[in-house]
Amino acid sequence: MEVDSIPQQTQEKTTQIESADLVVGVLADLGKDGIAALSEALRTLPGSPRILVLQRDPVGNASADSSQTAQENSSPSLLPWSAVGPDPLGAPMQSISIACQSLFSVSDKLGARACCFVTSEMESASPEWICRLLHPLLESDFDLVAPYYTPRALQGLLNTSIIYPLTRSLYGKRIHNPFGPDVGISRKLAQKILGTYRNANASSNQMHPLASLAPVAVCDNLQICQAYIGARVYPPTDWTSMSSLVAQVLGPIFLEMDRCAPCWQKARGSVSVPVRGECEPPPPETGTLDLNRMAETFRLGVRDLQEIWSLVLPPATLFEIRKVSRSTAEQINMPDELWARIVYDFALAHRLRTINRDHLLRSMTPLYLAWVVSYARELEAGGATNVEQRIERLALAYEAAKPYLISRWRWPDRFNP
Amino acid sequence: MWYQVKQELIQSTTKFLTELARLLPGMVALIVALLISFVLAWILAIVVRRLLASFHFDERLNRWGFASLREWSPMNSPTRLASRTVACMVILAGFLIGVAAFDAESTSLLVRNIFAYIPNIVGAMLVLLVGGIVASFLARSVLIGAVNLNLQYARLLSLGVKWLVIVLALAMALEHLKIAPGIVDLAFGILFGGIVLTLVLAIGLNSKELVIKSLERDDKEASGENIEEPFRHV
Repeated sequence: MEVDSIPQQTQEKTTQIESADLVVGVLADLGKDGIAALSEALRTLPGSPRILVLQRDPVGNASADSSQTAQENSSPSLLPWSAVGPDPLGAPMQSISIACQSLFSVSDKLGARACCFVTSEMESASPEWICRLLHPLLESDFDLVAPYYTPRALQGLLNTSIIYPLTRSLYGKRIHNPFGPDVGISRKLAQKILGTYRNANASSNQMHPLASLAPVAVCDNLQICQAYIGARVYPPTDWTSMSSLVAQVLGPIFLEMDRCAPCWQKARGSVSVPVRGECEPPPPETGTLDLNRMAETFRLGVRDLQEIWSLVLPPATLFEIRKVSRSTAEQINMPDELWARIVYDFALAHRLRTINRDHLLRSMTPLYLAWVVSYARELEAGGATNVEQRIERLALAYEAAKPYLISRWRWPDRFNP
Repeated sequence: MWYQVKQELIQSTTKFLTELARLLPGMVALIVALLISFVLAWILAIVVRRLLASFHFDERLNRWGFASLREWSPMNSPTRLASRTVACMVILAGFLIGVAAFDAESTSLLVRNIFAYIPNIVGAMLVLLVGGIVASFLARSVLIGAVNLNLQYARLLSLGVKWLVIVLALAMALEHLKIAPGIVDLAFGILFGGIVLTLVLAIGLNSKELVIKSLERDDKEASGENIEEPFRHV
């Protein structure tokens, strides 16, 4: 990934700017007022750094306004970011990946000390939270500032069920949102990731920079912290592209797992990562809880996807899944130990290419939905106040099952319980 | 009279023995050709197997997306399938060369025709192989997609797609083999049309429930009922 990955328009504009201390890439739609408030907030950063803000500009309209702003105000400079157009159909993660690569390239070219990637909208109207991602980079020389969103029971479920506990058990660091997507990154980390992409060659188009952040930072012993940044507004669920989303998110994470195998096999247990800021109380959950649809998909999966799952999962796991599927939607209970083993088995099958990788990841969706049903049912029964305890219990189950993963990873043919 | 019978018997025996003697070199040549082809096939099979094994052929095939070829291979190894195919072809070629050694015009003509037909057989086998692989890949894609879309007839849909591709491949293979092309065209049309009709009927009958559900959902939305669900995944 060289300067080629910086789009022509952005490249021309960045040549006018010789250097910057900070580069902020904004994919989220903050609006004019939001950008003005962000600029105001960025000016309060210690040491008056020279800041470049790249703002998503899918149609190229904002260029005139923004360049004017850049001339009027010395810092921050605003540039339209034509790296990403509208999300390609069914591949929202792709545009995030392209934007992230572009951000790293721009900040590397300008010799910036750090960069920050902003893709989400928050419940709070003010974009000051972005500065909370930047403070630790500038003041305390951290290399990765991961976001710590206000924990919410039924939001960010893919992170709760797989990404967080898997990353924690593998790399031994309790980073609550290792996949971001709103992150602060030091120059050192950005350069290491650029290097990783250069070495990966052919498989680099399947990799995702956000999936590489935590593994690279942990395995290279870089400084990591988390920052409370409030409650994130998650995009609504599109059930028709659910399996595609699961595949797009888990694919790069499993790839990274394969790449960093020598590193994570040494890690035992997990340690907490420092958190900056204060946690806000979660906003109340809205909407009607309907578990039938997900339970139905799971049962359909058990009926029709057995032959695919039997290539991936050991017989004992398959037997337990069948047992779970016999319950009604209100009684579905997927034990954490079983779920952790399922995730590990899929990661192993991904590594071994037991079946086509896209098929593999998509076929995991019904199992994931069964976990969601079980989790939502449990939280509903126990009250939403137990969210963090519930997530902790799941993470511990992942850690407890790690020896199982290591055994299967090292001896996939011999160790098959 | 007895003398004439004796003469005839001697003549026919002599003729038989002469013919046999004339055939003997050919038979010996056939046996030798077969023996040589067996030895050659054995050596070639070993060479191919070792070559492919050093190339990690099985793993590479999986990586290239042809994992389903394993199911079609002896001992789940495409390497063995390739080496055995090479061995069988060498033995077949040896047999045909051996048969051609018979000094009979009709035999050599037959052998020439068989040799000329071999490219058709190889082509048809290739078409069938690729068709089989594509069929199972598409069937799996459709099955997973349909299950994730919560379609009750996912398996039926997947089977339909699989057989559509297999029938298409079979028809193409038979066309390649030049076996009753007219009948093949007709049979293909009937079979293909039949499968499509069956699928349409099955989906049409099964989707009644789906349409009713969709209408109910539209009604709920129109009446302002809050059907927003709280789950957010990414």
